Amino acid sequence: MFHLGWFLGNGTGMYPWYGTWANTYGRDWTKPDFFIDLATSLERGGFDLLFIEDTAMLEDTYGGSLDMTLKYGMMAPKNDPMPYIPLLAQATRHLGLVGTVSTIQYPPYLAARQAVTLDHLTEGRAGINVVTSVSHRVAQNYGYDQHLSPAERYEMAQEWMDVVSALWESWDPDAVVLDYDEPRYADYTKVHPINHEGKYFKCRGPLNTIPGPQRRPVVAQAGNSTGGRELAAAHADTMLALAKTPDEMKALRDDMDARLIAHGRKPGDLKILFMTVPFAAETDGDAQELVRREEDARRDPEAIAQRLWYLSYTSGGTIDYSRYDLDGPVPQEIGVGETTTSKAWLENSENLTLRELASGPLNYGIDFVGSFDTVAAKMGEAIEVAGPNSGYLFYQPRMSRKDVINITDGLCPALRRRGLIRSSYEHKTFRENLLAF
Amino acid sequence: MFHLGWFTNFMPPKSWRTHWGGHDAEEWATGKFYVDFAKSLERACFDYIMLEDSLMVPDIFGGTAEVELKHSLYAPKHDPVHLAPLLANATEHLGIVATMSTSFYPPFMLARTLATLSHLTNGRVGWNIVTSSEHRSAQNFGMDELWQHDNRYDRADEFVKIAELLWGSWGDDAVVMDRETWAYADYSKVRPIDFKGKYYAVRGPLNTLPPKHGKPVYCQAGGSPRGREFAARHADTVITAAAGIPAMKEYRSDIRARAERFGRDPDSVKLMFLLSPVLGDTEAEARAAAGRLAATSGWNAESTLAHLSAVTENDFSVYDLDGPVPELDTNGHKSTLADFFRNGHGKTLKEAASKWEIDSFPAVGTPDQVAERMGEVMAEVGGDGYLISNHGETLHRRYIGEITEGLVPALQRMGLARTSYSRGTFRENLLAF
Repeated sequence: MFHLGWFLGNGTGMYPWYGTWANTYGRDWTKPDFFIDLATSLERGGFDLLFIEDTAMLEDTYGGSLDMTLKYGMMAPKNDPMPYIPLLAQATRHLGLVGTVSTIQYPPYLAARQAVTLDHLTEGRAGINVVTSVSHRVAQNYGYDQHLSPAERYEMAQEWMDVVSALWESWDPDAVVLDYDEPRYADYTKVHPINHEGKYFKCRGPLNTIPGPQRRPVVAQAGNSTGGRELAAAHADTMLALAKTPDEMKALRDDMDARLIAHGRKPGDLKILFMTVPFAAETDGDAQELVRREEDARRDPEAIAQRLWYLSYTSGGTIDYSRYDLDGPVPQEIGVGETTTSKAWLENSENLTLRELASGPLNYGIDFVGSFDTVAAKMGEAIEVAGPNSGYLFYQPRMSRKDVINITDGLCPALRRRGLIRSSYEHKTFRENLLAF
Repeated sequence: MFHLGWFTNFMPPKSWRTHWGGHDAEEWATGKFYVDFAKSLERACFDYIMLEDSLMVPDIFGGTAEVELKHSLYAPKHDPVHLAPLLANATEHLGIVATMSTSFYPPFMLARTLATLSHLTNGRVGWNIVTSSEHRSAQNFGMDELWQHDNRYDRADEFVKIAELLWGSWGDDAVVMDRETWAYADYSKVRPIDFKGKYYAVRGPLNTLPPKHGKPVYCQAGGSPRGREFAARHADTVITAAAGIPAMKEYRSDIRARAERFGRDPDSVKLMFLLSPVLGDTEAEARAAAGRLAATSGWNAESTLAHLSAVTENDFSVYDLDGPVPELDTNGHKSTLADFFRNGHGKTLKEAASKWEIDSFPAVGTPDQVAERMGEVMAEVGGDGYLISNHGETLHRRYIGEITEGLVPALQRMGLARTSYSRGTFRENLLAF
């Protein structure tokens, strides 16, 4: 059996407001309804978690303006994901809810307290995805002139995570006594300052609230560079990973197993969820037709421009792909943003034109194409190769309610019939379910 | 008619040690008690629920957190921001005011979170603007000491300006959603704010749509001269612990005069006086209940002194309980400390602490009696309403019911409180009368 997550790739933002299945989303996206429908569907499908991305800027690298960004609504507008979590929890009973928290945006005390508050409100189903933010534009909204270098971002994130972890441990498990006779609410000798003084943060503590049902909310990590892997190995319960083949999945799993052991942890302490954008339909032929249409759509000049917009963003704001000849070679710089994503997108592009690259395969994780049964079988086989403690994170770039139902009510039953995914949730908390197999 | 609000915080109700605590001290953290609470307030047509917040475990009194945690005075306390969507989901009209500190939130994050809450609550969110007051909280956020009192408000002025610039960074007509050209928004109408001030640098623009129905309702509780200046400049509703009719009048005329100096209509600043009624079926019953509260004076004195220690960061445990009230200063709650002094004049520290209540006037009696008195005081002072709270340990479902099912209906019968909401927004309801 393996675990399933859903990657909400544009956070609590706007999913396409145009196109056949967009309905009134352009108008209604600021209401919680769509996200609530998503969460209840995922729970019906047997997913462990909803992984909510977040960013905090209007991106203007491509073409040096907001034109493309706001024409299509790319990565913005986007609401703060955290206030959605209590609402999603209220509509579900088991699904883990992971919101993205950036180490350059959140003071650790605020983040630690927010996560614990959410853990209580969700009755043990809260998680945070710890990121370091990608571009200068985010940093500039938070008082920086420029973002830190990628290496320094992860050094800071390690310390940030140390502070947050220490705050989560600042109340002993038996600190709350609720002695009705004396009366005494809590035993002060069991509540401890953390007195952290480091390179980036200083925090006295203790946390001003009591530990939640999970004590330590689930920690997720999404970077695949060395810095990201080390952060995950030290702190995370689950990790978003990019691999294009079963062999790459295995290589990453093996690498993480070694890192976990080096940190004194067990491979089973970290579930790796491999990003996948499946093309699944009722028949193999229908799925092939979906792929064919998708390939056609990618050659549309607007689609090419959007793809280049994303490449510009993942460069961390350092490369404006609008400035290159579409029929010339692909510039091979990686930039300083989402370096793993950029590398994946640029892989084997030395002999391609920029147009060929931008209209080519998405290269965002592992692709599966076929009928629900075919895809279910292939997904099982790939996990056999990757090894235990691996699963998938589904991503639908242009997500509509129809795409969600296709997975949760089409593919998930096929996976379940093969005994590959859970048919119920045995435990009360998110982490217990995540670590159950 | 006057307005009603309720002052509370997202923490275990201190009634847990009384007969009426139920299981809420064990289950408070799920938010369910507060959801029921909010529904009751909406049934009684309250304008808003105000969720106070603080960011520390105080350990000033006696140099440890013992008394603090024995009484659960300031901790544990949850972040009110995440309770707000649940309260909104359970109600339709009630304003939900969350406290967020200008000293510890990054301005971009605060502006975005409030915008998000405004969308999720359909424009019913309010912001209680605080600057925080304790070194202990500052030390959780990387500082050794909190900024000086008046400087905190200077920073808060700049902070509010940034939030408003961010909310204004999308033009009203920026979103076009043109299906022909596939244009969601007109990028020429979404602009960076490029703010570089004395204390903050924020580029912008905001990465989400501005709050619904304009900026969130601002709530403020400044009592010091600098705090009053800030409140009069920004707040839609000002809450105060001014005690006694002369102090209430002075506060009101001062806030109104300051608001006018800022070019504001003083009637657009709704002033709410703290009140913690003690109710009974008969006057004798209410007096007996008030007597029982007073009888827990040992407990009160310890709680009060630990509370004062927390918010003024003076250790009151070192003073002789039978000696006079010590004259102290603070970088924290200046007006709270001044009130304590005034009330404690000529008393021993123990007497002052055991009888000290933050209340505009004593409201003890049957619902009809208290309602009538509330009307008289409001007529004399000329304020805009009351912010209901409770005596230390009296926040429980029975007390909430006494207010929402007893006192408010009495006020309604006298024509003093609204019997339904207009169909408007939180701000429109607040400004309706």
